[in-house]
Order: sequence, then C-alpha cells, then structure tokens
Amino acid sequence: MSPLIVFLVAFPLGVAGVLLLITKGAVRNVIVVAACGVVAAAALVTALTFGNGEAVFFGLPGGLTPGHAILIMEAMIAIFIVVVSLQNRRLLAPIMALAQLAIAVYLDLGGHLPDPDPQRLFWFDRLTMVMVLVIGIVGPLICIHALGYMRDYQRSNPTIGGRRTSFFFLLFLFLASMFGLVVSNDLPMLHVFWEITTLCSFLLIGYTRTKETVGYAFDALNMNLLGGLGFSVAILLLAGQPDGLDLAKLTAGPAAAALLPAIALLSLAGITKSAQMPFSSWLLGAMYAPSPTSALLHSSTMVKAGVFLLLRLSPAMAGSAVGTLVAFVGLLTFLFVSLVAVTEQNTKKVLAYSTIGSLGLIVGCAGIGTPELVWVGVMIVIFHALAKALLFLVVGTLENRLYTKDMENFDTLLSRMPRVSVLALTGIAGMFIAPFGIVVAKWTAIRAFLDVPGFAGAAFLVIMAFGSSLTIFYWGKLLIKVLSMRSIEPYERSVESRVTRYEWFAETVLAVGVIGVAAGLGLISEHIVGPYALSAFAATPRVFLHLDPAMVVVMLVAVLFLPALALWSSRRTGFDMADFYTSGRSANAGHLMGAALGGTRTVTLRNYYLEGVIDGPLVFRAGTLVCGVVLVGMGLVAVVVAR
Amino acid sequence: MSPILYGLLFLVVAPIFGGLLAGADRIVSARMQGRVGPPLLQPFYDVGKLFQKEARHVNPVVEPLLLGHVGFMAAAGAMAVGGTDLIFTAFVFALAALCLVLAAGSVNSPYSFAGAERELIVLLASEPFFILMLAAICKVTGASTYAGVLASPELVALQLPGVLLAFLFVATIKLRKSPFDISTSHHPHQELVSGLTSDMSGRLLAYVELAHWYESALLCAFVVLFFNWSVPLGLLAFAIAYGLEVLVDNSTSRAKWQLVLRSTWAVTLLFTGGNVLALFLLAR
Repeated sequence: MSPLIVFLVAFPLGVAGVLLLITKGAVRNVIVVAACGVVAAAALVTALTFGNGEAVFFGLPGGLTPGHAILIMEAMIAIFIVVVSLQNRRLLAPIMALAQLAIAVYLDLGGHLPDPDPQRLFWFDRLTMVMVLVIGIVGPLICIHALGYMRDYQRSNPTIGGRRTSFFFLLFLFLASMFGLVVSNDLPMLHVFWEITTLCSFLLIGYTRTKETVGYAFDALNMNLLGGLGFSVAILLLAGQPDGLDLAKLTAGPAAAALLPAIALLSLAGITKSAQMPFSSWLLGAMYAPSPTSALLHSSTMVKAGVFLLLRLSPAMAGSAVGTLVAFVGLLTFLFVSLVAVTEQNTKKVLAYSTIGSLGLIVGCAGIGTPELVWVGVMIVIFHALAKALLFLVVGTLENRLYTKDMENFDTLLSRMPRVSVLALTGIAGMFIAPFGIVVAKWTAIRAFLDVPGFAGAAFLVIMAFGSSLTIFYWGKLLIKVLSMRSIEPYERSVESRVTRYEWFAETVLAVGVIGVAAGLGLISEHIVGPYALSAFAATPRVFLHLDPAMVVVMLVAVLFLPALALWSSRRTGFDMADFYTSGRSANAGHLMGAALGGTRTVTLRNYYLEGVIDGPLVFRAGTLVCGVVLVGMGLVAVVVAR
Repeated sequence: MSPILYGLLFLVVAPIFGGLLAGADRIVSARMQGRVGPPLLQPFYDVGKLFQKEARHVNPVVEPLLLGHVGFMAAAGAMAVGGTDLIFTAFVFALAALCLVLAAGSVNSPYSFAGAERELIVLLASEPFFILMLAAICKVTGASTYAGVLASPELVALQLPGVLLAFLFVATIKLRKSPFDISTSHHPHQELVSGLTSDMSGRLLAYVELAHWYESALLCAFVVLFFNWSVPLGLLAFAIAYGLEVLVDNSTSRAKWQLVLRSTWAVTLLFTGGNVLALFLLAR
C-alpha cells in the first residue's frame, strides 16, 4: 500500500514540475493526457489493492517520519502568503499565516509535538478509497477538459498571455495535495496538505489577475486561512493529549469532554473549507475562475475535503451539543442557499449555491452522526462529485460557445446544441431527479431525522421539506430552458461542431459515470458505503437501502427518461411542428410574432425569479448572520462543556 | 390480499374514481350556479372524444413528457397504496408534476410558458407540505407503508389535526381549484385562455385529464391515511373535503401567485410545522 500512496502524491507533483517548464501547447497536451491516464490507473490500482476493505495503517517506506519537514513546509506556505499579500497590500492573510507559523514553530522547536507513530502516518479505509477514486478519476477528466477549454478561454481573454503553464502546474499540484490530504492520519501532516489546497484555490481564483478576481481570491484565502488557523489551534490543544494527533484514534468514538474544543475547531476548519454559512461568500467569488477550476476545486474535490474531515469527525461529535450545532449550520445553510438560488440567473452561481447546499446536507448528516446519516453523507459525496463536475464542465463549454452564463440564454438549447443538451440533462437528472442518489439520500435522511428526538428532529424535517422543494424549483427552471425547442437556422447548428474533442471526451465519460453509479447504487451501498458507515460507528450490521421492485423499476425508467428523450428528439428530423397559440396573432415556431403595423417581433420568455417574495441578497445576509450565531454558540458550548 | 395487488388495483380503479369525481364535481358546481349540469359520465365522453381527435404537436418532446406525467402519477399512487415507503412516493409525485411543467415549458409559447412557470410555483408551494405530511404520518404510526398506517392503533387525525387542516388548504392547489388554480384556470372556465394546456390538444389533453384523475385518487388515498381506523370513514371525510373545495372554488376569484406561495408556505409552516414540533416535543 505504502509505495502506491507515495506514488499517488509524488507522481502528480513531478508532472506539475515538468509542466511548469513546458510552454509549447502540443507537448503539454500530450503530457497532460498521458499523466491523467497514469493518475487514474494508479487510483484504480490503489482501490483494488485495498483488498478486503478493513482499515489499514502504514508509514513511509523505510520507516521514515516527516520530522522537521512539516515545519519547513509550513514556513514556506507562510512566507509565500506573506509575500503575495504584501504585494497586494493585504494585511489579514499574513497575520493569520504568521500565527499558524508561530504555532508550528512553538510545537516543533519547543519540543511540544509528540513523535508520530511511524507505522500510523497514513490511514486507508473505505472512505479514503471513495475519496481517492473521486480525486483520481474526476480530477484527471477535468484536467483533460481544461486542455480544450483553456485554449478557447485564452482566445476570449487575450490579456492573460502565457500563464497557461502555471494553470496546469496548479491543477497537478492540487491533485497531489488532495491525495495527501485524504490518506493522512497524522493531523500536522494533514494540515500541511490542507493549506496547500487553500493556496491552489487562491492562485486559481486569481488566475486572470484582474482587480475583481484578485479581490475574490483574497476573500477565499482569508476565510480558508481562518479555518486553517482553527485547525492549527486544534493541533496545539491536541498535542498535549495522548494519541490526540492520531485522527483514527481521535475519532474512534464519542469524544471526551476535554477534547470538544479541539473537535469544534476542527469542525470550524471543515465548515470554512466546504463554504458553509457564514463563510459561503468565498465560493461564489470563486465562480469567476475558469470553469475547470470551479469543477475541480470548488465542487467535486477541494470543498469535499471539508466535509471529508467532518465525516471523519462524525463519530466523535455524535450525540454532543457540538455535533447538533454543526448539523444546524449545515442544514440551515442548505435551506438559505436554496432560497437564494431560486433568485439567481447566472447558471454558474446557481451551480455554486446548489454545491453549497449539497455540502450543507452532508455537514448536517455528519453533525448528527448516526450510521444511516453518515451513509447518506458519503453517498452524496459520490453522486455530487460526478454530476456537479459534469454540469460545471457543460456550462464551461456553453460559455465558450454561446458567450454567456445566463440561464435565460440557454433556451431552445435542445434544438441548437442537442449533444450538449443530452449531457446537461444527464447532469441535472443526476443532481435531483427522483431515481438518482441524491434523492435516495434525501429520502433516507428524512427517515433518519424521524428518530432524532426533540426540537432538533422537527426542525431538521421542516428544513429538509422546504429545502428540497426549492431545489425542484431552480432545477426545473433550468430544465424548461434546456428542453424547449424551436426551428433553427443551419448556422446555429454549426456552433456545436466547434466543441473540442477534449471536452467531448471528459463530459461523455462523466455522463456515463453518472448513469453507471446510479445503476450501481445497490452495489456501492452494500460493499463500500454501508460497511464504512458500520465500521465508523462500530454499529450492528443493518441494511441501509430498502428498495422494493416497484422502486427499482421507477428508478430505471426515470434514470434514463430525460437524456433518452433528448437523444430521441434530436434525431427526429422533418418533424411537422405546428405553430403555438398566440391569441390569433400570427406566430411561428421560429419565434416571430405578428405585431402592430404589419411588423414582426421576436418572442422572448423569461423565467420567474420570485422577485418581491424572496429577496436574494437579504436572505443571504440573514443566513450568514444566523449561521454565524450558531457557530459562535458551538464554540461557547464546547468551552463550557470542556470545563 | 398482498399490498402489490392493491397497487395494481389502484392503476385500474383510480381513473374510474377520478372521472366519476370530476363528473360529480361538474354537476355540483352547476347546481351551485343555478344550472342543471352535464351527465355524471360526461368527463369519460370528453376524454374519449379527445383521444379520437387529431393532436397538434408543437414539438416532439411534449408527448413523451406528458406520457411521463401520466406514468409517474399513476406510479406514485400505485406505489403509495402498494406498499412502497410513503415518503419515497412524495418524490415520485413531485417528479410527475415536474413532467407536466416541462411539457408545457418546452412549447415556448407565451401562454404555455406562463402556465408552466406558475405550475412550478404551485409545486414549490405545495411540495414541502406533502413531504412533511407523510413524514408526520410515519412518525405518529411508526409505520412506513400504507398498510402499516392502516394497521396502526393510533388514529392519525387525532394526533395530526394541524396537518389535516393544512391538507384542506394545500389540496386546493393539487385539485386545481380557485383561488389557487393559477396555472390552468380551467375549472369553471373563468378565462378565455388556459395557461398550462393552451398548446395541448387531442390525446395530449386527454393525458393531462387522465393524470389529474390519478392525482385526485391519490389525494383521496392520502385522506384515508388520516382516518386509518376505517376506510369508509376516510372516504366520507374525502367527500366532505371535496364538497368544501367545490364550494370554495365557486365562491372565490383567482389569487395572485405571490399570495398563493406566501399563504401556502405560512400554513405549512404554522399548522404542519407546529404540529410536527408538538409531536417531537411530546414524544414519549
């Protein structure tokens, strides 16, 4: 196992270094495609080598320990942040970075850091396997997509110049650090990888280096550094506890009262990383980054690091007030961002809100901490990673072809870009239509909430009922736009033929993956997620997925309904389309309508955004405030209980 | 008899029940307005005729989506009665409604589109209630299936009076009754143009009617859940509730969508949410 893990971290790191030196596009394409193949193969081999699925612990080859390497890495990160921030005249980030460095120096040079067990540096269990597969399969696909996307992006943003080398360098550096993050068992080591992903996110958001994006990049950096600082303080608190820095031992069962402040601080880190309220604004700013960045870092993998940590902490939080308050932060975030998403017209932002909401559901599940809910959380991780990565990539493709991210401009997409529509519909179906994982997950969550006693249980049910209805509304609006049809001119058809083969490849594989994972729901539950949920809580064996034959049939039909419908209708040529009804005015399917004085006008239809009923910015601020209060409450409760 | 047979029976009986209900509705409405009204079987004649007429297709996706609408609606009812987890059927119910929205939205005409958007709004308004209602019924009885609820010794209506009141309110949306029929406006023919179905003709319109019959039967099945001690009692309660809906339908004018959304959410939150909260706080 250990050489494989070292390879998973070291190989992308090496590729990143090579890519930094290469300026020729054709060479870069070959290297990226080959490297992506190797990473995906290595991730698969690692998953297969894992064997019977019992948790394994191991160290570096030759029994090495990281020693002072951790301090050196922390120092490099801090110095980098200080230099970049001062160049841009920002003060908050350097202060937090230096505070983290001070803690690292105190622990290491002051001799307060207990030596880690050289055989327990890494931890690989089924949850790690899920994460490794997500990073190792979705990640490379997004990198391949970026080859096509960035070429067009560069054309429409000529001022960026030759910075594409650093773009791909950062993507591979990010993959390496994500692999490191999910396999680490030693908390100081995990923290280093955690901070590298923060840095990658910061640099990729600020990629275009305009005033606007640099501002958003620093928002992201500040909030994530706050979480990172919380993580550092947690390490400081845990360093004095026996086995405190061993993640597996720390989360083996309900945490002792004395450990709760540290658990709360680690949760804070998870909440900032997964952009939960009150820290949601950084993820919205991050949407100004190129779409592959949004797909890779800000939906399918990096933000998952936050919920990954919370899922790990779930057994330790279970049943404590800290856990319940974490759950409230997650579920309230789900409700508030779903309300805001209804009022949003920018498709990428709708996807961002939906991402925050899905992560909120996972946070809620992790906070309550029962085997059923951890099962739900891991299921959402899997489905969301595939479906949302696909949707972000499709929106990226549309953006480069139609020059817009506005949902309203995607109307009659099925007529104009039928193949892209099929992919988009697969992604949307994967996110919310009844058969797929997320609805199965929501349903299981509602069942589990019924058993949560007292006020919390009732509140969770109400939040879930309203939140999931809101998701129907905003996805429904997008579906109406994509599914509508009209007769089109031949030149409109040609738009689709300019989509690059890199994009087709990545999006098609992800779409097949979405359908495949939905079809394999039962197997995934039985062999991977179910056993994980049981082992995390040392619970008695049970079945998590109660499907009867009628459900399976309905699921199978609904799984393929919209994509198949789109495929079928786009192949039907020469369909005799009648004109639609316009109160006797002449109109045709090409959307021209008779107007006064014998002229014609084009019909334009616009979705409802519930203006006057839901005030988006106000709801966002209210959510930030409410969740902020809950979070402060969590901190106070943790301190009080610890005393 | 096994629950699956009940599910299959639902597929056959529900449209007959729904059609008769629609016929009775028209007679009662007519009497309220001082008319005689059509024969009881008129809805069946209407739908039969629609099937014989030529359908005008505005685009190729409308018909499959409407078939999806009927199919998922029938499936939601059959699954609910046939022993599937009740909470799960709420999601299938919503999927069925979504198919109708997409069918009307894809037409791209101003009237259909406005109807589709409004249908989406009433879906947004009513969906939280149905999820909460089914969750609350499962909580009270400790059961997860229809048969389980019927076998429970607890009388659901006694424990969930708030939810039952809210049901009366929300059912107005699902039965497409004024003041909440903002997406169709077809029941007492108050307006010249009906929204959602403006561009559906012939068998396309017949599918919509058929799905609505299934929907009415499913709503009736939900009412029986509240009176789980005796099915005839439940049917009687549904008859009374439906009579009230017809009365309201004939005595109110259509509301704006803002009012529909706000009031439905408020009722759901206060009555259903309050009832659920009481249930959780008082649980032994």
